[in-house]
Amino acid sequence: MSGPRVNNADLLAPPVVQTIQQRSLVVGVVFAVMSIIGLLIRPGEFFPAYLLGFMAWLGVTLGCLAILMLQHMTGGAWGLVIRRILEAGTRTLPLMALLFIPLLFGMPKLYVWARASEVARDQHLQELTRAYLNFSGFLGRAIVYFAIWAVLAYLLNRWSDAQDNAALPDNTHRFRALSGPGLVLYAFCMSFAAIDWAMSLSPHWISTIYPLIFLVGQVLSALGFVVAIETILSRYKPMSELLKPDHVHDHGKLILTFVMLWAYFSFSQWLIIWAGNLPEEISWFVRRLNGGWGFVGLFLAAFHFAVPFVFLLSRQFKRNLPTLMWLAVWLMFMRVVDLFWMIEPTFHEQLRVTVWDIVVPVAIGGFWLTFFFRNLKGRPLLPLYDPHSREILEPAHE
Amino acid sequence: MKRLAIYGMMAEFDTTSDLVAAARRTHEAGYRKIDAYSPFPVEGLADEMGFHKNAVPLVVLVGGVLGAISGYLLQYWISAVTYPINVGGRPYNSWPAFIVVTFETTILFAGLAAVLGMLALNGLPMPYHPVFNVPRFAFATRDRFFLIIFSSDPKYETAGTRVFLESLKPRSISEVPS
Repeated sequence: MSGPRVNNADLLAPPVVQTIQQRSLVVGVVFAVMSIIGLLIRPGEFFPAYLLGFMAWLGVTLGCLAILMLQHMTGGAWGLVIRRILEAGTRTLPLMALLFIPLLFGMPKLYVWARASEVARDQHLQELTRAYLNFSGFLGRAIVYFAIWAVLAYLLNRWSDAQDNAALPDNTHRFRALSGPGLVLYAFCMSFAAIDWAMSLSPHWISTIYPLIFLVGQVLSALGFVVAIETILSRYKPMSELLKPDHVHDHGKLILTFVMLWAYFSFSQWLIIWAGNLPEEISWFVRRLNGGWGFVGLFLAAFHFAVPFVFLLSRQFKRNLPTLMWLAVWLMFMRVVDLFWMIEPTFHEQLRVTVWDIVVPVAIGGFWLTFFFRNLKGRPLLPLYDPHSREILEPAHE
Repeated sequence: MKRLAIYGMMAEFDTTSDLVAAARRTHEAGYRKIDAYSPFPVEGLADEMGFHKNAVPLVVLVGGVLGAISGYLLQYWISAVTYPINVGGRPYNSWPAFIVVTFETTILFAGLAAVLGMLALNGLPMPYHPVFNVPRFAFATRDRFFLIIFSSDPKYETAGTRVFLESLKPRSISEVPS
């Protein structure tokens, strides 16, 4: 690389990022040690918790990728001002690919179709495992998903980095050319991944809307995460000068949209299966609405949808970053509760939260955040030479 | 409202930034009953004018809540009270099936409340408006930007307000007859 690069120290992340990165690493290491104890003494409880933590943090990574492509398609200052946060989020993908490997060892503990003794007793499972749900298919498809996501994340990050070099020609059009097909590819890959990794926990059950709940949930996790990060960054330069109430308002509106979309998909799944009332479909809900799991379902309806929805209707609430931040963090937590409610009832008929359900997701989160903050430090917080950056640096009506 | 002979004093500007700066200074000078006109929406203008809330969001909320209640009660009344039919052994009051129509009536009532509430509160349709007494105001739909201080403002007085508006360096100043 030659030519003048943006080495403007004014646009780099504040030193507080270094502090949070170190603390995240400490949390990650401590909880990882506890997780390994869990793996040794309670492998049957460890792997469901590991799947929960993996899906939750993969959701933030891929949600960042989806919003990044979305903002390349739509344009707008709301996306440009958080673009470097989103890009740092997508660059955690290698970590998530690495963290996928333990799932391969946990397959017999997690998936009924991966246990030869049970497959031998069930003709339907024999057909499924022959055609689709088997180890080589599971691994091969996962490699394809991660490869496609990695190519998208790599190219978007590389081109964005090239923008910081003023000597290179303008490459803005390439982002859009990739992001349109990229969004379609992401949606297809994540749909298949949701079927492979989560829906196949109940291999007799199918729901066509189920993968969409994951897609929407991932974008919602990432939006919550971005609002939390921009709250921290906005206390310091340069974000304190870049982030305007209008941007925060837009982020609040997007959160409202995706809260409603999550409710729409979740409710549609429930309504269709409830109305059909077929034994092979309704069993999934019968398990999740009895034995104490019903309270988790009600909790989701109230605190993943109803209460956030009412708060987000208010204009003042959406424009006020300190209050919006609490709701954003809350929704990130509710995403984990939703995944918990979808995954865990497979393993226990009665509601129970094991210690590992908390320890393992926190361990993965510690490493994820360490990686994220390391990425965030590496580049200026604003792509200064992007043609639209002017709109952020100057008042709108001049 | 008592009818004043003079409706207000109007200043004409060439650019949006002039208008926004003028709106800011007018608000800072203590004028509260002011309005601005432009051919297209200008970002930040409402805030500089001392944007005040109106009752439309409340009207929409009330409309939405009424829509939700009436939509649900309509279905409940039909399915559980006047004409109960056993569908596959499901309860008469099958709330999951009622949610879809309840949602639709919520949106319908909220939408109607938004339109009717807006019309009721802003006084439209309005066949006569004094600002059109100024011939130059026709440019407000093309490429000029106007700021008006209403004569109902407590700080309004013919000479002083004109001096103040002149300090904003407008293209022209007109007194608007009622």
